[in-house]
Amino acid sequence: MNRMIRLTVNGESREVEVPTYRTLLDCLRYDLGLTGSKEGCGVGVCGACTVLLDGKMVSSCIALAVFADGRDVTTVEGLAEDERLHPVQQAFMDFGGFQCGICTPGQVVAAKALLDETPHPGDAEIREWMLGNLCRCTGYYKILESVRAAAERSRA
Amino acid sequence: MAAHRVVGHTIGRVDGVDKVSGRARYSADITLPGLVWGKTLRSPLPHARIVRIDTSKAKACPGVLAVLTARDLPDVLVGRRMFDMPLLARDRVRFIGEKVAVVAAIDPDLAEEALAMIDVEYEDWPAVFDPVAAIEPGAPLVHTDPGAYEGAPAERPHPNVQSVLRFRLGDVEKGFAEADLVFEHTFRTQLAHHGYLEPHAGVVAMDADGRVQVWASNKMPFRLKELLSHALRLPQEKIRVNLTPIGGDFGGKGSLMDLPLAYHLARVTGRPVKMTMRYAEELQAGNPRHPGVITLATGVTRDGRIVARRVRALYNSGAYAAFKPAPSVNLGGASMGAGVYRIPNLSIESLCVYTNAIPCGHARSPGEPQMVFAEESHMDMVANELSLDPVEFRRKNLLRDGDVLPNGHHLEHVRAAETLDAALRASRWSEPKPGPWIGRGLAMGHRHIGVGFTNAQVRLETKGTVTLVIALPDTGTGAHLVLRQVVAEVLGLSIDEVDVELATTDAFATDSGVGGSRVTHTGGRAAYHAAEKLKELIRAEAAKLGVPEASLAAIAQAAAADGRKLEATHFYDAKSHAAVTSFTAQVAEVAVDPTTGQVTVRRFTTAHDAGTIINPIGHQGQIEGGLIQGLGYALMEELGTEDGRISTLSLGDFKLPTMQDIPPLTTVIVEDPVGPGPFNAKAIGESSISPVAPAIANAVADACGVRIVDLPITAEKVFGALRQKEQRS
Ligand code: FES
Ligand code: FES
Repeated sequence: MNRMIRLTVNGESREVEVPTYRTLLDCLRYDLGLTGSKEGCGVGVCGACTVLLDGKMVSSCIALAVFADGRDVTTVEGLAEDERLHPVQQAFMDFGGFQCGICTPGQVVAAKALLDETPHPGDAEIREWMLGNLCRCTGYYKILESVRAAAERSRA
Repeated sequence: MAAHRVVGHTIGRVDGVDKVSGRARYSADITLPGLVWGKTLRSPLPHARIVRIDTSKAKACPGVLAVLTARDLPDVLVGRRMFDMPLLARDRVRFIGEKVAVVAAIDPDLAEEALAMIDVEYEDWPAVFDPVAAIEPGAPLVHTDPGAYEGAPAERPHPNVQSVLRFRLGDVEKGFAEADLVFEHTFRTQLAHHGYLEPHAGVVAMDADGRVQVWASNKMPFRLKELLSHALRLPQEKIRVNLTPIGGDFGGKGSLMDLPLAYHLARVTGRPVKMTMRYAEELQAGNPRHPGVITLATGVTRDGRIVARRVRALYNSGAYAAFKPAPSVNLGGASMGAGVYRIPNLSIESLCVYTNAIPCGHARSPGEPQMVFAEESHMDMVANELSLDPVEFRRKNLLRDGDVLPNGHHLEHVRAAETLDAALRASRWSEPKPGPWIGRGLAMGHRHIGVGFTNAQVRLETKGTVTLVIALPDTGTGAHLVLRQVVAEVLGLSIDEVDVELATTDAFATDSGVGGSRVTHTGGRAAYHAAEKLKELIRAEAAKLGVPEASLAAIAQAAAADGRKLEATHFYDAKSHAAVTSFTAQVAEVAVDPTTGQVTVRRFTTAHDAGTIINPIGHQGQIEGGLIQGLGYALMEELGTEDGRISTLSLGDFKLPTMQDIPPLTTVIVEDPVGPGPFNAKAIGESSISPVAPAIANAVADACGVRIVDLPITAEKVFGALRQKEQRS
């Protein structure tokens, strides 16, 4: 069964007809052409598909698209403002917070959500918050450093 | 050392804007007009005859464009070196997860629904899962005549043996006869997936000229073209591989995987076809790290000199040899049975064995984490038997300049002792431990610097910048940035004045791609020499111009006005390994919880004998990433199996380290700029992973007196061993 849904994605209102079983991730990637969010595990444990739904972090691979009807979605594509990278994105580049980059869209969205909620987190808070975003390349040290740096820069 | 302007400087991932902003298009992100989706049906049985397959219901499903079985495909076998794997199972399945049918549909969910409508009747056959049982007389045979496969090694002591790899030094029998004491231990290592977060993905399309266009998460585009040409029976010129970013490789992204099926679906439907594996399929049928059963026997003199060693490794290779790329169809890491020690009389024998299990492939330093775990645990166990300090026992036997490795190479610039000292110092090895149930463990390793062949082309643009054209994918290591730095250094430019243009397989004749810790060396040297050639061209052009201070832009424009391009290409081919290797020494400090057996790594020290470091952030990133993979391998990663069935089919069950699992880390670099890479660089990508598990195992033994000989070192195992020890005393 298909359903028409209306949602705001990165500030733009979109209307799309989706099968009711369509995940939000597949809807973003295939129906809306926003391939920034990635599918890793597909079962809600790796965080590669992390997006913000009404400002709250969710794994879009285990949320249904119809669930986002009438709501506000922010994906990695919506973090930069007029080509200016979000401080979190810039920090990941400066401090080697990514290697292959497949986990990175989820990491930067998660880190932004953290800093929105807790602008100056301690290491323990960062580790706790970022626990659900797996990275197989970096060993996490430089992700931790990147998030820390993004927080510090915004303090300056 | 000469000071460099760009090389060695802290440069972040300036090439990463697309990755942090979500614009980078990985293979799974490629879309084309009319694209349809391919999905595969996999065998639920480990060994069976296919009696019949009924695809009629699936074919009748609206939106399904094609359903193919082996009957619809040419009878070809694929592989990377030994060609023993059918595209789809033909009459017989050999492991749970083997592909038996493939569907193309207009929607991925629909394709998966159609799979459920395919009816397959099987006749169950006896299966074998354990590599030790598989080479007993009378074991079920996984293949009827493996010797007949293209690329099959000649030696086959049992029909279930894929390959035998041997290393020999001196005379082992004589060596053991001279030994005062001989110690023998057996170790087991687990089945483990690479854990890259990008499942295999690919798109295949036929273009207007009838050429096959391929986008794939594959790190060796030219080898992929050759292998596709073989599998599809098409001339190589008919195939073009387009490079995409790769979402992690760690050795796992070098095979054909679903691409031939995507081609056949594209051929039959006339549409571009995308195939992506679900992570469950990765865990069930990717090409994970081989589990091993490894026995080492070492003969020593009473004062702790090693005089002889015999090593036997049995690797469970699963149902096919197809995923192993080395000419030996085996795992080169077996040579690490010698460790970092001079062993005058040595015999190593490594067997890769067929079973009805998931076919294994190459994983970051193939065969080494298995062997180094066994070897470095064994070293501590022997030291213990001899009542020698594990450091002193190692020191007595360390490799020195001029020593010969198991592969016959003579070594120079051996920095084993220096690297060991650096790790001991930084870890405060000799200081008292902070409390009970805390232990320290040491392990060492070393690794060659990769070889291969790579092309690089550099071109001076009329705006005065330089473009580096390569057809080497970046698997995530930041290799493109390293190559840019090399070109910038040679030409006296800043990093922003060098761009990378990623070519397709049409651009060059060949290239060995990414793997085996080679890219900084081979890609780096190709870029270096190409840049040197361009520098010459620029000099000549400037002389012609007669303006001594002419800018690069002016020079390029003058040449362009003359109808000439200033560009140079270099093909660099390193055929044999350099006489230097990179040493690693690591120290783990762990705490064992006596009530649960839980092991916590309190801090970790890693020391590396490195060449000139071109990109410090990237270099450190390789150390950290490999090390945490080693930590996961040591403590948690294991694909559980039950009669050939993987029981951990999600990343929730197959556990990878998270940010909570990383210990405080100290890295020490012993810089020794003598590598064969550009500016005397060495390799780093595969150095930090292997000694982690034995360092932790040795630390656990030091903390609580129990020796874990099979990976991973879980709380259950440690707790069980503690209980046993209690009962014994
Ligand atoms: S893909 Fe959604 S959490 Fe892994
Ligand atoms: S950068 Fe590759 S998985 Fe995180």
